[in-house]
Amino acid sequence: MNLRIVVAVAKVSFREFWRSPEAVFWTYGFPLLMTVVLGFAFQPKEPEPVPIAVVVARDSDELVTALSRSGRLKVAAMTELDADQALARGRIGALVRGTPTAPIVRADPTRPDADLARLLIDRALVRGDAKDVAHFEPETRPGSRYVDFLIPGLVGLNLLGAGMWGMGFQLVQFRTQHLLRRLFVTPMTRSEFLSGFLISRLLLALPESLVIVLFGVCLWDVPFRGSLVATMLLLLAAALAFSGLGVLVASRAKTIEGVAGLMNLCILPMWLLGGAFFSNERMTGVLRVCADAMPLSWCNGAMRDLMLGDAGVMDIAMPLSLLAAFAAATFAVALRVFRWT
Amino acid sequence: MSDSGLAIELRALRKVYQKKQQTTVAVDGLDLDVRRGEVFGLLGPNGAGKTTTVEICEGLSRQTSGEVRILGRTWGSGSDLAIRARIGVCLQETKFFDKQTVRETLQLFAACYGRGRSVDAALESVSLAEKASSRQSQLSGGQRQRLAVATALLGQPELLFLDEPTTGLDPQSRRQLWEIVRSFQRQGGTVLLTTHYMEEAEQLCTRIGVVDRGKSIALGTPQELIRSLGAEHVVELEAKDLAGIKDTELGALPSVQSCERSGDKVALKVQSVHLAVPPLLELLRARGKALDGLSTRHATLEDVFVHLTGRQLREEASS
Repeated sequence: MNLRIVVAVAKVSFREFWRSPEAVFWTYGFPLLMTVVLGFAFQPKEPEPVPIAVVVARDSDELVTALSRSGRLKVAAMTELDADQALARGRIGALVRGTPTAPIVRADPTRPDADLARLLIDRALVRGDAKDVAHFEPETRPGSRYVDFLIPGLVGLNLLGAGMWGMGFQLVQFRTQHLLRRLFVTPMTRSEFLSGFLISRLLLALPESLVIVLFGVCLWDVPFRGSLVATMLLLLAAALAFSGLGVLVASRAKTIEGVAGLMNLCILPMWLLGGAFFSNERMTGVLRVCADAMPLSWCNGAMRDLMLGDAGVMDIAMPLSLLAAFAAATFAVALRVFRWT
Repeated sequence: MSDSGLAIELRALRKVYQKKQQTTVAVDGLDLDVRRGEVFGLLGPNGAGKTTTVEICEGLSRQTSGEVRILGRTWGSGSDLAIRARIGVCLQETKFFDKQTVRETLQLFAACYGRGRSVDAALESVSLAEKASSRQSQLSGGQRQRLAVATALLGQPELLFLDEPTTGLDPQSRRQLWEIVRSFQRQGGTVLLTTHYMEEAEQLCTRIGVVDRGKSIALGTPQELIRSLGAEHVVELEAKDLAGIKDTELGALPSVQSCERSGDKVALKVQSVHLAVPPLLELLRARGKALDGLSTRHATLEDVFVHLTGRQLREEASS
C-alpha cells in the first residue's frame, strides 16, 4: 500500500465532502441537533396526566366528579361517538361509561397508556385522592435517567449514519460519473483508494462522537465514568464497522436510488432494534435474537458500560472484538466484490 | 518484455456480451498492431466495437477470447499495475470531482504515479495554468476535456488512449487538443485514438484502422485509404428529376469510378475531373436537365468511410 496515494485520496475525499454544505449538515449537523432536541425532551419531570373520556349519560356527571379527584387523570365528557373517535385516534388512553359503582372501561390493551389508564381509573373510584401508600422517589440522579440512556445510543446512531451515508453516497456518485473507472486505470489499488476514503470519514466521525458525549456531559450532567482509551477504541472500531458496511453496500450499486434503498434496509432495523432508544434486555424471542446480533447493539451496550458504568478496555473486550471482526469482514468482502464500473 | 516494437498487439480479439437470451458480438476476431511512436486512429460507425476494443486495451474489460499485448505485457498476469503506470487514459466521458480545483484534481492523479511530470508542467502543457484554482463546474467543455487529457499525461505515459476526445467541442478547442496530441507524439509517445471526425483522423493519424461490426475492414495511412478508392476526386451535381438518368449511364462516363445518390444529388467518384465533367454536362443537356449546382473536391476519408460501410459516420454518431 502506497501511503502517498492513500493520503491524496483522503484529501480529495475530505474536501469533496467538506465543500458540500448539505452533505455536512445532514451527516453531521443533524445528529447534533437531534441530540440537543432529544436531550431536552427527555429531562426528568412530573408525569403527564393520562387523558380519558367519560361518555355523557344520565349519571355521568357523578362519574366525572369521581374520576377527576385523581390528579393523574385528565377527564373529558364526550358523546359516545366523539369518545369512540378519540379512542381510535389515540387522543385518550381509555373510554369510561356507566356509573361510579358499575363502570365499564374500554381501551386497546396494545397501547402503552391503556393499562395505566385502567389502573388509575380503578384507583380513583376506590380511593379517590387518598395519599399514595408507597413514598415515591423520582429518579433524578445523573446516570440513571432516560437521557443518560439516550446519549450513548445517539453516539452509536451517529457513527452508523456517518459511516454508511458518508461512505456509500459518494462512492456511488463517483461510480455514476465514471470517475471510479478513470481512477481504476491509474496505478492505484482498491485498498489504497478505499483506505483513503475511509480515513477522510474517520477524521469527521470520531470528533463528532466526542462532541455528542461532551454535549451530554455539559448540558445534562450525563456521567462519563469509564476509560477514555477504551472509549476511543470503541469509537474507532464502531466507525470502521459501519464504514465497512457502507462500502459493502455501495460496492456494486450503480445508482443513488439503489444505494439509498440498501442503506435504509440496513439502517432502519438498527434504529429500531439497535438499542439506541429502547433497551434490548426488554425484548423477547426472535426480536431479542435479531437485536443482539446487530453491530449497533454491541456499540451502544459498550458505550453505556463506558459512560454509565466504569468499564475499562477488558470489560468491553467482547463488543470491541465483535465490532473489529465485523469491520474486517465487511472490508474483506467489499474489497473482493467492489466494482469500479 | 517484448522487443517487437509494438505498443499494442491484438490477435483474433473477440468480445461477446451475453444478456439474457441475447448474444451480442461486439468485437469479432480483430487483429491490430499499433507501432510505437504512431498516432493510430480507430474509426467506425457507432456500435462497430471501437470503444469495446479500447476498453479491453485499457484493461477496463476482459476479452472473451484472443490475445492482447500492451507494451509487451498482458492484462491479468500480475503486471496490471506496471502496465497502468505506463499508459495514460482519457475515457469517453468522465466527470471529475465537482468540488476540487483543477490543481487539486491533478495532484491526486500525480500522486498515483511515482515518476511523472509536475502538476505545473501538466497545467502548462494543456494551457490551463490560469484555471488552476477553478473548480470543474466553472470550466468550459473544452477546458474539461483538456483537464482530462492532462490527467492522462501526468504519468508521462508511453501509450495514450483517447476515446473520442473532441466530441462536442468547438473547432478552436479541437485544434488545441490536436496540438497537445502532436506534441505528445513528437516526444516519442504512442496514441490510440477513436474519433467520429474524419478531418481529425486525417490531421492527426499516421495510420487508420476502420472497423465495422467488430471486424477490421481497412487499414492504412489516410492517403493510402483515399487512394484505395481508385478515384481521388468527387464531382457532386444537383438537378431536378435526376432519376431519369440511370447509375449505369453515369458510371459509363469517362474516368468515373462509382456513383452515389441522395435525393436530387449525385456524387461521382472520378479519377480526373477534366475528363469526366464535359461529357457529364453533355449528357444532362441531351436529356434536358437543368443543373442547380455542380462542384468538385478532393476525395476525403469520409468518402472512404461511406464507400466501405455504406454509412455516413457522423449521421451514425448523432443517432
